[in-house]
Amino acid sequence: MKQLILHSIYLFIALLSFQIIAQNNEMKGYRIEGDEIVFTFNKEDYNEVSHDGFGDRKRFDDLTIENVVVAGQFNNWSKDKWQMKKIDADNYELRKKISDFNDEFSWEFKFVINNEYWAEPTRKDPNIVGAIKDGSYLNVYNLKLLTGAYPDKNGNVRFRLKGHKEAKKVILSGTFNRWNEKTFKMYRIENGWEIILRLKPDEYQYRFIVDGNWMEDPTNPDKVENEFGEYNSHINVKERVTFHLNGYKNAEKVILTGTFNNWDENEYRMEKTEKGWTYSLVLSGGKHHYKFIVDNNWVSDPDNSVKEYDGKGNINSVCMVK
Amino acid sequence: MLRVFLNIFLAFFCCNFIFASDSSDPIFFPKAEIVNEHTTRIPFKLIDHLIVVEAELLDKKGDFIIDTGSETLILNKVHFPSNYIKKRKDTETAGILQRIDNPIERHLKELTLKDFSLKNKSSDVIDLSHIEKAKNMKLLGIIGYSILKDYEVFVDLYLNQITLTKIDTQGNKLDKKVYAEKIVDSIDFRLKNHTIIINCTVNDQKLKFALDTAAEFNQINKNSDKEVLKYFIPKKQLNLVGAGNRKIKVMAGKLHRVKLSETIYFGPMLTVLTNLNKMNEAFGTDLDGVLGYEFFAQKRTIINYKKEKLYFINYPYKKQ
Repeated sequence: MKQLILHSIYLFIALLSFQIIAQNNEMKGYRIEGDEIVFTFNKEDYNEVSHDGFGDRKRFDDLTIENVVVAGQFNNWSKDKWQMKKIDADNYELRKKISDFNDEFSWEFKFVINNEYWAEPTRKDPNIVGAIKDGSYLNVYNLKLLTGAYPDKNGNVRFRLKGHKEAKKVILSGTFNRWNEKTFKMYRIENGWEIILRLKPDEYQYRFIVDGNWMEDPTNPDKVENEFGEYNSHINVKERVTFHLNGYKNAEKVILTGTFNNWDENEYRMEKTEKGWTYSLVLSGGKHHYKFIVDNNWVSDPDNSVKEYDGKGNINSVCMVK
Repeated sequence: MLRVFLNIFLAFFCCNFIFASDSSDPIFFPKAEIVNEHTTRIPFKLIDHLIVVEAELLDKKGDFIIDTGSETLILNKVHFPSNYIKKRKDTETAGILQRIDNPIERHLKELTLKDFSLKNKSSDVIDLSHIEKAKNMKLLGIIGYSILKDYEVFVDLYLNQITLTKIDTQGNKLDKKVYAEKIVDSIDFRLKNHTIIINCTVNDQKLKFALDTAAEFNQINKNSDKEVLKYFIPKKQLNLVGAGNRKIKVMAGKLHRVKLSETIYFGPMLTVLTNLNKMNEAFGTDLDGVLGYEFFAQKRTIINYKKEKLYFINYPYKKQ
């Protein structure tokens, strides 16, 4: 089927070198740093607090902050368990391992001031979701933590839409966030709009929503027809993979070959290292069969336990990119 | 014979790999990899914790959930409406997570996986729109026991694929070269109707669990022994929506010390505390819990319905 996907392009880009125009591309209430989620609370980000039960909202300025706690689905909305660390007069942080959040698909949370008051996000925040308790809407918002695809200024895929300067709001929506129409707000840059996401290697479809109007990416020729008779833009996010073959130091020529190059016997000549042989290439997400050709002898990867038969009863090594 | 048979192909795109009969309405699995006449590998994606394969049926493209907890092939009424309705079924169709009332039965004259045919397979047509809505997906249906039972089924959450290989009446594989990786362990299970039931222990207490590929969360019965619930460490409350569109609030946490045998054991598994009495009633079972996604996330598992055996293949130690 892979052959049928025409014009597959890849956007594996080293973004560190890009100058990112200072705009807020972050989700409210947290950021992701390596394998950690850092919950972040800045006093300036909130105008109002609310209280359980009835009563008016209070202005934030009227409160003296004694402590800030992260409360959410991950700790059963406890108002005292996850206390944050004070960084400076306005900022609080709490670090948690991202692996603790991978076993759940959506996490809603909020900040609690002085173990009592909920800091209320505003409608403008990108990652809000209507708060529901016992089946009814509470008329306030929770913040949502996204651990699948997420905006990240050091991410691997940059989406840009040129022009539309008069637009008020541009959203990126796609299969990476199951066509959510709110979360991935693009920010203005000099000639248009931009957002940078961290995406796992895979194929994705996406569209832009410009002030409520859906459109494909005009600069991406790779597109697929959707069920509405229009087009979704398509990207294939790839990842760099390095193959190693230990030993075989006396070999003269070692070739890496596999389904990724149609088992070409010459294309990927491996380089000699201290321990053996190595070759690095960019691969699409999914499963790849491969083998090494050591001086014309085909060998599977002795250090990889993952193997499969091909249709003819030969055993290939398998590399999974995900 | 009043029955109007519906012919549905379950076939594979561009390779003649057919899962169905001689009608012009095939189900294609466009991404399937045909290894040989007996074996195919179908890549899946995870939607949250659901195992989902892409397919095409009657000019519609969408997803099917692989569900060992479902008795039959279920088609979503939203996409396959009334023109194939045969009759109202008196009985209830029940899945592990859900009970669905009054399904409308369809009949599949013959389902063929290449050279093999599964005759007179029934399918139920049920409105699954609430799953579509909750997951924001296009769900064509659910592939259950009636399709899976004639194959050895390798559910591999490392390679994100399901391998189906044809077995004979004794459960022996017709293809001798299916798995190049070593099978490291195995365990017997008991089949009660369509439900896979495995014996295991938690804190040395004997328990019976159902194994369900479509259970997004493991479940343990509230009424379980205290000695068992000691090792359920609650963490948070979750709202779950079942296939019956019923919302329930459950306590979620980690279940520790689950052992299938002296050699097969699990790390802490995300599990929810639920009342399984209704489900036990529906199936005439006496289950203490359900093992789902988390089980497969920890064990690459092969299911052989005829031999009533599970086999396990290790996850790789080294990431390539």
